Amino acid sequence: MIAAVERSASEIDDLDTLVRLHWPRVFRFALASLRDPDAAGSVAQDCFLRAYRSRQRFRGECSIEAWLMRIAVNLIRDYARNRRLQFWKRAQASAVDLAAVGQRVPDGGASPESGAMAREQLAAVWNAAGDLSERQRTVFLLRFVEDMDLLEIAAATGMKEGTVKVHLFRALQAVRERIGRSQ
Amino acid sequence: MSHHLSSQEVSQWMIGERTPQQEQHVRQCPECGAEVARMEAALALFRGSVRHWSDGQSRAEPPAIGSILPARRGSWAQPMRWALVAATLLVLAAVPVYRNVQERQRQAEIARADALLLEKVDAEVSRAVPRPMEPLAKLVSWDFSSTDGRDEKTGNEEIR
Repeated sequence: MIAAVERSASEIDDLDTLVRLHWPRVFRFALASLRDPDAAGSVAQDCFLRAYRSRQRFRGECSIEAWLMRIAVNLIRDYARNRRLQFWKRAQASAVDLAAVGQRVPDGGASPESGAMAREQLAAVWNAAGDLSERQRTVFLLRFVEDMDLLEIAAATGMKEGTVKVHLFRALQAVRERIGRSQ
Repeated sequence: MSHHLSSQEVSQWMIGERTPQQEQHVRQCPECGAEVARMEAALALFRGSVRHWSDGQSRAEPPAIGSILPARRGSWAQPMRWALVAATLLVLAAVPVYRNVQERQRQAEIARADALLLEKVDAEVSRAVPRPMEPLAKLVSWDFSSTDGRDEKTGNEEIR
């Protein structure tokens, strides 16, 4: 355990390696949450700066990834709260990006009808994710974009595992409902 | 298990909460199997689209460390900050001391002036005769050996 903590602490000391290994994930999560590449970049940058500055406080109780994600979750929450109006405007503007994202659906040789249906489903999930509450969206993205398990999500969000399940369940219900409406 | 999965049960399935009976039912029931597959496919599409979108961003590449730690200014800025704080505290602490020293100097000057004044008063009070009579007093010699000023033999009052 002590060796693991020392190893983790030394990993954080090596900021170059830390950024190289974890930047894509932190940036992606921030991008999916904020839907603004510039804001996501700033949040990711701030996340690593904070992690580096508070590295002495890392006790190895969770993985470095979960620790970084926890910092990112807090920064994203603060960002969204401080810039609620701008965030809302950007969310409205991101509808253009959604159309572009929908075009990237791999057809895999499927028929044009099934391709169109897949795009509709995708847009429905994007819209549903955008309408989720902050906590529901966070756990939804951590689970279904970042493939984190419930315990990791609990560590990253500071919630209990049961609370994570409740938020995830409600998020899925909302997404299912939206997918059902899109058909 | 005879009935189809409810909407809640499908959502719980996606979280990973499923019973062996539900797993068997989904394997055997084309309708429930299709529903679960549809949901899984939609979520997989979403995951893929987010990752694709993120990978296409210029900021998705890890930046140079210099942009995260601007000029690593902590190496000198931190001591400078502490030095500034220390200097401020020193100034704040020195002000009362300086005022105290000034006050003591002022009081010492007053005391010196008082002492001089008292010396002058003492000098005035201790004069044998008033200042205007001093020239006369110099002409007269006073003998105070006899306490009452009388001649011891005759007992007559004598002026020398």
